[in-house]
Amino acid sequence: MPSTRSFRYPLSWRLLDLAEEARRLLWPARWRRAVPYGLLLPAILLVGVIVAGLGYMADYSLRELDRSTFLLAEDYSLANFRTIAERPVYLRILWRSLLAAVIVTAVCLVLALPYAYMMVRTASPWARKALLIGLFLPFFIGQVVRAYGWLIVLGQQGLLNSALGWLGLGPVDIIYSYPGVLIGLVQYMLPFAVLMLAPAITAIPEDMELASQGLGARWPATLWHVVLPMAKPGLVAAGVVVFTITLTDFAIPEILGGGTTDFIANAIYDGFFAISDAGLGSALAVMLVALASFLVAVIFALVGVGTLGYVAERSR
Amino acid sequence: MPGGRSMRLIFWSVVWFNLLFLAIPTLIIVVASFTAGEIISFPPEGLSLRWYGELLDRGFQGAFLRSLEVALLCTLVSLPAGTLAAIALVRYRLRGAAAWQVFLLLPFTVPLIVSGLGMMLVFGEIGILGQLWPVGVATCIINLPFMIWSVASSVNALDPDLEHAAANCGAPPMQAFLTVTLPAVMPGVITGGLIMFILAFNEFIVSLMLVDARIVTLPVLIYNSIRSVITPDLAAVSVVYILIAVVAIWLLDRLVGLEIFLKSK
Repeated sequence: MPSTRSFRYPLSWRLLDLAEEARRLLWPARWRRAVPYGLLLPAILLVGVIVAGLGYMADYSLRELDRSTFLLAEDYSLANFRTIAERPVYLRILWRSLLAAVIVTAVCLVLALPYAYMMVRTASPWARKALLIGLFLPFFIGQVVRAYGWLIVLGQQGLLNSALGWLGLGPVDIIYSYPGVLIGLVQYMLPFAVLMLAPAITAIPEDMELASQGLGARWPATLWHVVLPMAKPGLVAAGVVVFTITLTDFAIPEILGGGTTDFIANAIYDGFFAISDAGLGSALAVMLVALASFLVAVIFALVGVGTLGYVAERSR
Repeated sequence: MPGGRSMRLIFWSVVWFNLLFLAIPTLIIVVASFTAGEIISFPPEGLSLRWYGELLDRGFQGAFLRSLEVALLCTLVSLPAGTLAAIALVRYRLRGAAAWQVFLLLPFTVPLIVSGLGMMLVFGEIGILGQLWPVGVATCIINLPFMIWSVASSVNALDPDLEHAAANCGAPPMQAFLTVTLPAVMPGVITGGLIMFILAFNEFIVSLMLVDARIVTLPVLIYNSIRSVITPDLAAVSVVYILIAVVAIWLLDRLVGLEIFLKSK
């Protein structure tokens, strides 16, 4: 019979016992039903800061700037919203941002689908890896650096105009214009779109497509009747993400637009820091949140949350 | 692969166009950083490493270190917060689960400019504006869904019977968590942590609201230095970002494999 004295209690066991003891102290057994809420608590508190910020913005939006003291009024009024409605420039900015969001979303989805499809379906692991790297390299480089890159490409003495010069074609003014901003935004959003779309493509059994083909469908018909409907959760998620981020983007219109093509975010920023009217800026912000939330809610209500949800359908 | 030759031709053409389109700004920055001239022109006026001398500048180094600090803090906060939230959302039957999901997607549905300004007002009110650590927390908040997503996809893939088996064999809750659940969801934790680090290191708009001249972060410094005449002085600094992105991708591929992003939930 082995003596118990020769047995050494391993350090890892002691540590686990300690962890167990700590849990008992921090979270007594009778709180067991609250465990999931305890696990959620840190995330909820963090996101709560955004909610608190929204509260401040809502409060500010209802208070008019007093031009004599440069303080916001104590009384609530809708004066800021009236100002926005009265100034045609804000309607123009709103229209410009919405149009950009629609165009960029459409272009990104069209460009992202073949990329995601080939990345998932290609038989070559090397091609798949190369496509993933081609995606992650821009994804991991921030907007400011990428916008700087576009300034070099599209600028007056940039790559594009130099190339056009050799071909004997006149220079084009893409930089500091709407098309320049759109190019920058599509390049910024494309990796998001592909990453949202790829899991949805993976979820489509290849056999479905082969069956469609076997039954005589040409590939456009297979794409239209099999791939697109089954990729819907991914298309929805990609569409929502691209649309909302484009609609609310600040850096690309700021840097590539050069002050000529302000989006809503730039107007909000100017409200706070250029004309020092936090009330007006907040009113614009409240309108932007309402608009974005409304559009996202409509899409979610019509087609569901898609792959945006955290929880997989089958594990529920 | 299904589809005929014409489909493959069209799809691969789009893929090649995308690859070129995605890579152009990055490639051009690398080329420009080696230029010898005062301005950027094509073809470049000779080659030199003179712009890399800018990296020795005090202002740049300070901003670089501050961005590093912000990114590390963001990662440290998001690792436990995101991991625990993902486990709670996927593993437990929560009352109002759908509402919690929508709430935790708020950082993505509230526009960044609004989140940034809101946090500026909140931090100003409690008197922590002008310090660096709130910037780290803020970058964690706005990117938290990325962390929850990556861990959630690992939790979704983990068979709950494994945890039940551990409990059945007598493992108390912490032991089951530390020796079964956590190792199983590690790929998601690593992926999420790396993404959070990189995004915080690159974070611009929210930093712009929360920093002042003393604690300017690297993306804000680059933004402030962009002028209407495009000079190569920022190219070398930008190459640092490109290198860090390359290292992060290499790490991600070595540790979990980039293919993890192709998995369906």
